[in-house]
Amino acid sequence: MARAGGITNAVNVGIAVQADWENREFISNISLNVRRLFEFLIKFEATTKSKLASLNEKLDTLERRLELIEAQVSSASHNPPAFS
Amino acid sequence: MAVPVEEAISALSTFSLEDDQPDVQGLAVQLSAERYATSSPIEYADVAAYRLSLVEDTKAINQLNSLIQEGKEMSSVLYTYRSCVKALPQLPDSMKQSQAELYSETYQVLDLEMSRLREIQRWQALAASKLAVDMQRFSRPERRINGPTITHLWSMLKLLDVLLNLDHLKNAKASIPNDFSWYKRTFTQVSVQWQDTDSMREELDDLQIFLSTRWAILLNLHVEMFRVNNVEDILQVLIVYCVESLESDFALLFPEHYCLLRVLPVLVVLASSSEKDGDSLYKRVKINRLINIFKNDPVIPAFPDLHLSPAAMLKELSGYFQKFSSQSRLLSLPAPHEIGPRETQDYQRRYLIINHIGTIRLEHDDHAIRFASAMNQVILMKSTDGADSEWCKEVKGNLYDIIVEGFQLLSRWTGRIWEQCAWKFSHPYRNADSQEPREISAAFSDYEKVVRWNYMVEERKALVEVVSYIKSIGSMLHQYDTVVADALWETIHAEVQDFVQNKLAAMLRTTSRKKKDLSRILSDMRTLSADWMANTGKSDSGPQSLQQGGEGSNGNTFHPRAVAPTTAQVHCLQFLIYELVSGGNLRKSGGVFGNSGSEVMPNDLKQLETFFYKLSFFLHILDYTVTLETLTDLGFLWFREFYLESSRVIQFPIECSLPWMLADYVIETEDGGLIESVLIPFDIYNDAAQHALVVLRQRFLYDEIEAEVDLCFDQLVFKLSESIFAYYKSHAASKLLDPAFVFASDNADKYSLPSLRYDALLKMKRVKLLGRSVDLRSLIAQRMNKAFRKNIAFLFDRFDSQDICAVVELQQLLDVLRLTHRLLSEYLTIDPFTPILMEMQENVSLASFSGRLASQVFTEMQNDLLPNFILCNTTQRFVRSPKMLHQPIQKSSVPQGKPSFYCGSQELNVAYHSFAQLYSKFFGLPHIFAILKLLGSRSIPWLIRALLDLLTVKVNSLESKIMVLQESFPKSIGLVPFDGGVAGSLRVIHEQLHWASTSEFKVEILHCLKEIGSILFCMGLFDIVLREVETTQFLQIAPWLGLVPGNEGQVQQDLKENGNSPIISLFKSATTVIATLPSCPSPSSFLTMSKQAEAADVFYKNNLHSGSVLEYSLAYTSAALDRLRSKWSSNPKTGFIDITTSKDFYRIYGGLQFVCMEESLQDASRKHECLGDSVAWGGCSIIYLLGQQLHFELFDFSYQLLNVAEVENTSSGQSMSSDRTKNTHYPQGWENLIEGAKKVRRLNNHVFSMLKARCPFEDKTACAIKPSGAPLPRVKYENTVSAFETLPQKAKISSSFG
Repeated sequence: MARAGGITNAVNVGIAVQADWENREFISNISLNVRRLFEFLIKFEATTKSKLASLNEKLDTLERRLELIEAQVSSASHNPPAFS
Repeated sequence: MAVPVEEAISALSTFSLEDDQPDVQGLAVQLSAERYATSSPIEYADVAAYRLSLVEDTKAINQLNSLIQEGKEMSSVLYTYRSCVKALPQLPDSMKQSQAELYSETYQVLDLEMSRLREIQRWQALAASKLAVDMQRFSRPERRINGPTITHLWSMLKLLDVLLNLDHLKNAKASIPNDFSWYKRTFTQVSVQWQDTDSMREELDDLQIFLSTRWAILLNLHVEMFRVNNVEDILQVLIVYCVESLESDFALLFPEHYCLLRVLPVLVVLASSSEKDGDSLYKRVKINRLINIFKNDPVIPAFPDLHLSPAAMLKELSGYFQKFSSQSRLLSLPAPHEIGPRETQDYQRRYLIINHIGTIRLEHDDHAIRFASAMNQVILMKSTDGADSEWCKEVKGNLYDIIVEGFQLLSRWTGRIWEQCAWKFSHPYRNADSQEPREISAAFSDYEKVVRWNYMVEERKALVEVVSYIKSIGSMLHQYDTVVADALWETIHAEVQDFVQNKLAAMLRTTSRKKKDLSRILSDMRTLSADWMANTGKSDSGPQSLQQGGEGSNGNTFHPRAVAPTTAQVHCLQFLIYELVSGGNLRKSGGVFGNSGSEVMPNDLKQLETFFYKLSFFLHILDYTVTLETLTDLGFLWFREFYLESSRVIQFPIECSLPWMLADYVIETEDGGLIESVLIPFDIYNDAAQHALVVLRQRFLYDEIEAEVDLCFDQLVFKLSESIFAYYKSHAASKLLDPAFVFASDNADKYSLPSLRYDALLKMKRVKLLGRSVDLRSLIAQRMNKAFRKNIAFLFDRFDSQDICAVVELQQLLDVLRLTHRLLSEYLTIDPFTPILMEMQENVSLASFSGRLASQVFTEMQNDLLPNFILCNTTQRFVRSPKMLHQPIQKSSVPQGKPSFYCGSQELNVAYHSFAQLYSKFFGLPHIFAILKLLGSRSIPWLIRALLDLLTVKVNSLESKIMVLQESFPKSIGLVPFDGGVAGSLRVIHEQLHWASTSEFKVEILHCLKEIGSILFCMGLFDIVLREVETTQFLQIAPWLGLVPGNEGQVQQDLKENGNSPIISLFKSATTVIATLPSCPSPSSFLTMSKQAEAADVFYKNNLHSGSVLEYSLAYTSAALDRLRSKWSSNPKTGFIDITTSKDFYRIYGGLQFVCMEESLQDASRKHECLGDSVAWGGCSIIYLLGQQLHFELFDFSYQLLNVAEVENTSSGQSMSSDRTKNTHYPQGWENLIEGAKKVRRLNNHVFSMLKARCPFEDKTACAIKPSGAPLPRVKYENTVSAFETLPQKAKISSSFG
């Protein structure tokens, strides 16, 4: 078989591979944690959005209630004879 | 400072990030890298480090990969090509002179587009030649370079696929040659002025040939490949690889699967068209295997709206490749449209999702459960310190298996959708019962035929289900991406290490002695991927020692390391395995893992094969997010470029758009199981938009999608809120439906509702839509607020256009609406009901007491009830008089609303309507109840006051008319003489009543009295109803205020020892207890509460005894009569009763009553019906309040007549005792008259007794005559009823009437 293949310097490659595994362990660890960080940020954003939406809802309700009360009071003060 | 990374990250999890939004949507936001593991992120630059002499191969791979990338861009240009010519303006005749200008402008526009086509033409030539060179280089029998690797094979296949796709696109796009011919025409026009156009013209001709020749790219490729005639080997290798991969189908995800299916027919054609030995192919691959594959997939998805068919391709290509045309077995395969009906049925069973939905559902449920339990185990494992390593390994391995299974499921399901689409596109809708549909089906556009009408209802349902399964599994897997990542890496690492350290060692032991090459490859595999240091953590045994000394027979145990192999490692391992089995010889017959002639032991071969396929799946797992994204991408369901071109429209309406069809289907069917999936179709839009931007890179497509999404989402919110409103409405209505009625109903089921779960949707505060996040909940809440207002307005409008009897219906419907509101506000924040009602009644102001409804009720009473209804004293009801006296006011016709504006569903509407019908023909107690409920304590006083004002007006209007009558009185009216008998007295009465029967005011006075009577009667009804309500309220309040019945039935308060009522003492004691507790956060609020209890006590105690409405009304009437008292009841100067000359009111009323009675007897059908009993109420009340009751009873004409009749009857009875059976001997008609008079007297007595009871006068007549017989001058009496205290000031009344 006319093969051009085969690792030419197996020992050196073996050592390099071993070092590579160890280096990559560090890299994967860091990259995984960075991803977790991002995930946290995304979740944080989602939660914040939900909370803001509920807050908005409550403010909306309050605002409208206030409007109603304002209308009631102003109409009452514009028609004083009804109370005299 | 130095906090370990893990600790810092895990500290983040202490933040509480609760989110109550349910997961009813797929992924929309993803972080993903541009490059990913399945194609090396660093272009295999690290391969060289392994010293496998793969430099050439790597270079070739990179070259092919960049060509694939470019080719994909080209094909997206072609796919999204839209005809420019269609948009070209036509010049009107008046502007013919600027034709040349138009040509040059057109030329410039088209030139840009054509330059792109030219680029494609150039590129394909380049790519074809490069591919051909590459193939030739790597297929020499005398190999000088290593390769091709498996990755290389894949690159070749993919590039071939890209080229083929370009060819298909070019063939299918009719607008391209069309545009080109236009371009050429403008070119000839424009180029007249140019100098040197020959080369350009040549180039144009070239392009024209390229564009107009079918399969130009493939033919060119063929030529390039066989320029040097030695690519057969590699073609055969490719075919074998395709066939084996397709047959094992383990590591293939659907995009690769379809890629192989698309390429295979062309490879077969190319291989068998070779000059040298075209038939050697079939020695390596049996033709039956090919035919099986082709038969199995008669249609292959290629583009979103274009499918391919291997059979049709083979047939068409046989015309271009002479040698291939002899392959009659392959050519006899039927194309999709030639498949017989029976086979079509068979294929349909496979292609239509509806036939698999049961399995898919099971798979989904099973997988979701198992994934969840695996996740629980992982979380448990992470929280336990020092867990058993064996157990850890098992948990992680289990997780890995489940994720692999998940990916395969996703791939299968998405593939099914692609296939169903392709099948549907190849089998457009045909109307089965084709009697009339000829013209209808002609009216449908092609796209409508393949999409809109091609999906049956069940198919839509199945599609929605599958799409939501895909999206939910996808987002579930994605959610845990970072949680599972290290476990996955660890498992993969363990698998690889197990293989290279243990299995390879075993293989080495058995083979190393004989085969040097084999053992070298095996040890190479170990060298490039073994991770020795992970063994037991201690690095005492170096690689050398292990390599040389061999291992323990029981295999190594190693500590897992959470690191995955690199792409390059996988690539090299695959290459080495492939080398090992094929022996580096392309010519070797048989398959890749066919065991013929291999030097490896069959047992080892099996292991190698398994590991080989596992390796290729590792890459998908490592590419977690990207793989998920690919597998859950359903954007293709939207794209329809081919059909747009052939349909000659700019865009299809949304009804033809599959995503919207699905969403619409979910809303329309109101299927409880699907309703939560209503947002899922919008994920398809998200995917489509992503695809348009990132892959196709066409802004106009994104704009079109965005426009469609805007429209669809508006529609969705609109339809969704309609159906939510209708649902809750019918829910409320069915709750309020009379249970007795439901019980008695034959099929009560139709009134009960299937429950639908809208609550998940109502929690969606951020729907992800094309990168925006939309607050669906607030949108729906807005619409609900509007719907409630609209509904109330509608109900009021409806009431406006009906008469007062409809008030019961109105009240019922408002009750239903109120309950609807209550049910809905459990899930949504909407405005409170009472303010909405106030707003719609225009009653918001604190100073306004008469809302829209109150004034409407009053107007109805004033204009319709009082004049047009007649009272029946016996039934206590008013009914409409058949003879309208007043012309009724023109009302607008009753408005018709949607069913949801009544009670929701049709059945409930019918039920409620028939209830309301019962109350629609009269006015009585139920109506008063309804009015009371509707107007409430705020507007009822206003209504009563308004009615009493009306009464005063009526009384005042009587004055002038009565005066006229008084003037026309005869000089004296004596008593009826008894001696004339009935006949005689009648005559006398007629003489005396001449004034009454001839007066023009008679009718008017009677009507006036009738209305006064009606008002008073209504007040009576109000009185009854208010009493009832107050009694209920009293019973509710009594225990709190400590009210108990006393010895004599009177109410007395039973107070606690400290003199407080129970409510106060309860709150006080509670407050003292709570306030003393040290843990109480705010004692002041409890103090406030007990203060409020005191306020409530005072408030309710003072409200206990409210007066009677009727008594008040009578007192009010009496006050109104005060002004007229002198005119209508003159004090005789003598002090004795004035008989003959009295013109008092009782006289007038007596006369009118008699005349009226007589007239009604003459024409029984007439008079009574338009007056009714309320005249008596009006007349008698006035008489009573004027203090003339006794006078009236003495001197009334009919009473006198009755007396006469009685006397006569007795005397005649004595004289004719033999004739006793015949009681009467009056002439005909008299007995009726007498009967009528008796009736009148009975009625009057009833009224008087009621008045006496409710409005007693205190001792006044008794002192009119002294015991000595001397008359006393009449004292001015006072009404002394308790209610009178609250009477308004007289001055005020007169001013308001005056």
